[in-house]
Amino acid sequence: MSTSYQLKRADFIFKNENDWEDVLRKSISRPPNELINELISSELKGRGGAGFPTGLKWKVTSEEVNDVKYVICNADEGEPGTFKDREILSRVPFKVLTAIAICGHVIGARTGFIYLRGEYFFLQNELNKAINEFEYYCKEIKFDFKIKIFMGSGAYICGEETALFESMEGKRGEPRNKPPYPSSFGYMGKPTVINNVETLAHTYTIFKYGSKRFYDLGVQYSRGSKLFSVSGDTPKPGIYELELGMSLADFVEEFGDDDTKAVQVGGASGFLVPRKRFAETNIGFQGKLVGISLPTGGSMMLFNSSRSMFNVLDNYLNFFAEESCGQCTPCRVGCQQLLKGIKAVKRGEKNAQYLDKMLKLAETMQFTAKCGLGQSVGNSFSSIVENFREEMIY
Amino acid sequence: MNVNLENQVDTKIIDEIMSKHKGKPGELLTVMEEVQEANDYKYLDEASMGYISSKSKVPLSQIYSVATFYSFFNLKPQGKHTIIVCRGTACHTKGSKILLDDLTTLPGCKDAFDAGETSFTTDDKLITIKTVACFGQCALAPVVAVDGVIYSNVTSEQIKKLLENLQEENKDENIRLS
Repeated sequence: MSTSYQLKRADFIFKNENDWEDVLRKSISRPPNELINELISSELKGRGGAGFPTGLKWKVTSEEVNDVKYVICNADEGEPGTFKDREILSRVPFKVLTAIAICGHVIGARTGFIYLRGEYFFLQNELNKAINEFEYYCKEIKFDFKIKIFMGSGAYICGEETALFESMEGKRGEPRNKPPYPSSFGYMGKPTVINNVETLAHTYTIFKYGSKRFYDLGVQYSRGSKLFSVSGDTPKPGIYELELGMSLADFVEEFGDDDTKAVQVGGASGFLVPRKRFAETNIGFQGKLVGISLPTGGSMMLFNSSRSMFNVLDNYLNFFAEESCGQCTPCRVGCQQLLKGIKAVKRGEKNAQYLDKMLKLAETMQFTAKCGLGQSVGNSFSSIVENFREEMIY
Repeated sequence: MNVNLENQVDTKIIDEIMSKHKGKPGELLTVMEEVQEANDYKYLDEASMGYISSKSKVPLSQIYSVATFYSFFNLKPQGKHTIIVCRGTACHTKGSKILLDDLTTLPGCKDAFDAGETSFTTDDKLITIKTVACFGQCALAPVVAVDGVIYSNVTSEQIKKLLENLQEENKDENIRLS
């Protein structure tokens, strides 16, 4: 059930700070181990949605023995309903660049990349200017580090880290089998740290203020703040930095239009939460003792009573059918079948029980698909079909 | 075969692009992007892909597989102007389907659209219409991009006005729809 938690705003990421030079200089004068411990004690988890502990990722990669390592900033923000990374890169690019360089210092990498999604072509010029200024300063303080932008070519799947490496190597962006993990075998087969834009921006906050400031925000297992991209039927769409652990009821109270019937948490690959579950749902990583915890990359899309959930699901499945890379069968065939199936039920060509068969198919996809894309199709499919079954049929 | 190809494509431009990126990891994607950009109709024709293949020793099948994988590569000639309609969920709920339907009434588009194609060009080759999964501008939904300029909160009337502008060839770069 909902705790007494209230919606708490935070203001770290977009805070106007012109001290990146200081933060960079001070951080790279500290031994890597100390920085790693700082990150680990902050309990920062990846902000792209999967929530892997960032400190651990850096630690494991720093322990790899290899002359060449890479840092990659994953700016392939393709999840429908997510637009926080674009905002970070256009408003506070130096925080991200600084974090990439500090990571380079920690793991022993000399090159960093920003994998920018093709649809964000309009960010490229400004970002290149920032990189030039940044590299100029690095040269001045005799810190040998280069950052390059790699432009994506319009494929959602390339946000998956191993597909992203494939794409950077000039191939089709098809996910690799894991293990080996990027920490030992990443871009060009070298140890690689790959972090989401927002994760890197948070590390800046941690290195500047110390881990405690960050750890004090949020709740157990879900520490710190997070950017949320709010869209859909809301009077105030936009980006908000909130502490993790809030209940969805509080969120809807703040952002809803008094007629909110459901919220999609985490974009097309996330979960739909109907109104009756708002109170018991918390936004954060798994592991809380009470209620349901939903992790999210930050997309919060509100739907009011005028929306047909069938249309929403139809839109998601069209998206997945289009973006599935086609490599593994569960995802390639599964997405097509789910899409065909809900249409057939809607037209009355299949009976309502067919929905149950499709739920089983979605479950199978969750277990058998090779990467996060195919595994997460079932999230939105099952949560929409189970909660709005009648809208699928009539 | 090479002799044949060299008559069909401007090999000088492709050679230049390829030597510029020689040896860089991931060069294939960059080369293909720039070759497409250098084409008058902004697409990768078979002859160009064949030439890249013969020069880079990358099998044509691999080049073709990359070209079909990424939505930024065009395998057909593109119109003079490009309109991209965002089909993300936020835009969808705010009516981007209606905008797309408006655009499919242009001559030459209906059949291609009904056949399930995600990119189609008007008969007069003036306008190519495409969709994109999400522009990351969900707070401004629905969003449409015209020749790289992004317009927000677009309505059917504005689409009509926009088309008139493109068709009359008096497009003012500074027109902001909202």
